[in-house]
Amino acid sequence: MKKNNIINEWLNENNDPVIERLVKRNLAIANKVRNILDEKGLSDKDFAKMLNKTPSEISKWLSGTHNFTGKSIIKMELALEERLLHVEPVKEYVHLGLIKGTWQESVNEYTEAKYQETMPGKVG
Amino acid sequence: MSSFARLKHIQDYDQVSYYSVCVGDDPETFDDQDSLYESFLKTQGEVNRKKIIHIINWLKEIGERYGAQKHLFRDEQKQGEANALPPEGTNRIPTYTEAGKNIPNNLRLYCYRLNEHVVILFSGAVKTAKYAQDCPNVNPHFAEANRLTKAIDTAIKEKDIRWIDNFSDIAFEDDIIIDL
Repeated sequence: MKKNNIINEWLNENNDPVIERLVKRNLAIANKVRNILDEKGLSDKDFAKMLNKTPSEISKWLSGTHNFTGKSIIKMELALEERLLHVEPVKEYVHLGLIKGTWQESVNEYTEAKYQETMPGKVG
Repeated sequence: MSSFARLKHIQDYDQVSYYSVCVGDDPETFDDQDSLYESFLKTQGEVNRKKIIHIINWLKEIGERYGAQKHLFRDEQKQGEANALPPEGTNRIPTYTEAGKNIPNNLRLYCYRLNEHVVILFSGAVKTAKYAQDCPNVNPHFAEANRLTKAIDTAIKEKDIRWIDNFSDIAFEDDIIIDL
């Protein structure tokens, strides 16, 4: 069977990076809301009532094609009691292991096995 | 109305394979013909460029990341009837995806979601009435999508279109002819 690349070829010539990013964001939000509704055992109808919308509007919102406004995201967050968007700075945490004794003793006694014992997570 | 159709591969992604159909009365012309989806791109790309870009990016993102999950596709409501999806393996109504605000600038692309991994793309237009049947723009596309959906279901039952790779894709002869 002949294979084509028609969608990607069209996007290579015609895409708009703003719309591309918007679609990714909208789908991510819709997907996250869907997961939260499933976890909470809520139907689209329940969610519609919470937001004072029709089930059809909710269906469109969660299809990933709807452009969410900031206000509608906040309304969903309040209704679900969950954050959907995070804009705080991303922090990286570095864990410092415990070193006993003087630093010279630690250097002398250092082995790879001891290092892995004190450090959480994968060392690689 | 056209009498025959042939499936055409459009694009493979990690999660979804997309196909469309060529339709007409003479299968000999199918090799030189655009599929319904390609015609939709050409027609709507001129007049509804941003909405088209939106829909195509949506297809790509679904294909690459999310799969064709049921809740991402909307059933076209029939007047007076509730949304419903019949069980697997029986005739189903087409679903659609759309971009744009509500009436009147609502661009619809009709499709047939076989499962989370295979979607057949048809065509569509801007919907200007509450129900597809009342809209002169989309009604022909909706009616055609219905016919094609039924015909594809029959082709699957008759094994002209076969499931492969544990229902993650379909296979068919390049010169397949589907009666409409």
